[in-house]
Amino acid sequence: MDHAQFRLIIPSQTRYLNLVTGLAKRASVVAGLDDATAAKVSIAVDEAVTNVILHAYQGEGHHSVELELRFTPQALEVHIWHSGQGIREDQLVLPDPSEYIKHPRKGGLGLLLMSRFMDEVRFRADEDSGRNECCLIKKIS
Amino acid sequence: MADLSIAVRQAGGVAVVLPAGFINAHTVRDFEATLEGLVQGGQYRILINCRDLSYISSAGLGAIMGLIETVREHGGDILLSNLQDNVFAIFDTLGFTQLYRVFPDESQALASPEAGG
Repeated sequence: MDHAQFRLIIPSQTRYLNLVTGLAKRASVVAGLDDATAAKVSIAVDEAVTNVILHAYQGEGHHSVELELRFTPQALEVHIWHSGQGIREDQLVLPDPSEYIKHPRKGGLGLLLMSRFMDEVRFRADEDSGRNECCLIKKIS
Repeated sequence: MADLSIAVRQAGGVAVVLPAGFINAHTVRDFEATLEGLVQGGQYRILINCRDLSYISSAGLGAIMGLIETVREHGGDILLSNLQDNVFAIFDTLGFTQLYRVFPDESQALASPEAGG
């Protein structure tokens, strides 16, 4: 194995969010990121998993969400797999924060936080397995 | 310990909300219900003291944003104080420090014109 990795599978229920974000924060520190950056990674992972539970699975709690953490010399990668409704990158529209300030409303901020707090955010569908992936990458400087 | 507990106390004409723990998609309903209950009861000056708030996701931001127009239409405001660094980073990254008044501590928030001080 040329880099360390491990997996966690949780039910698609928000009660496990705190477990996942705590893990992401600790993994970030282990990867060599500072505490402030680790907090941002944990928020990005919270938003990604929340999107899967509430949107991809539409709040149904009997599915599973698989997280894979990969520690490389260059980055911490968090891969989130699910079998729900996928997001197509070419349809992604990030909200404009200045518009939010002018017209406050609920929702839509999770993707923006993910993109601001991570170095890379990717979405893709795996046609072979029929699953969808959200990949979050934080580079280690 | 629960992921989130919320205390509310009155300071003059201001309702001081003290969330302790984590506000995420799992706990946000309690936070939202607390704020909505205050607004429905005619309380439009609200200070959220974040001293014991370890974490807030976009779900929590949405709960605050969903009420800001209503309270301001009634001459009130939602103020924030005692933000921990990671909580401040979320508000600041999204530019929301322009939308909400953020104070270093509760006493300064309560003394501000927005709080009627």
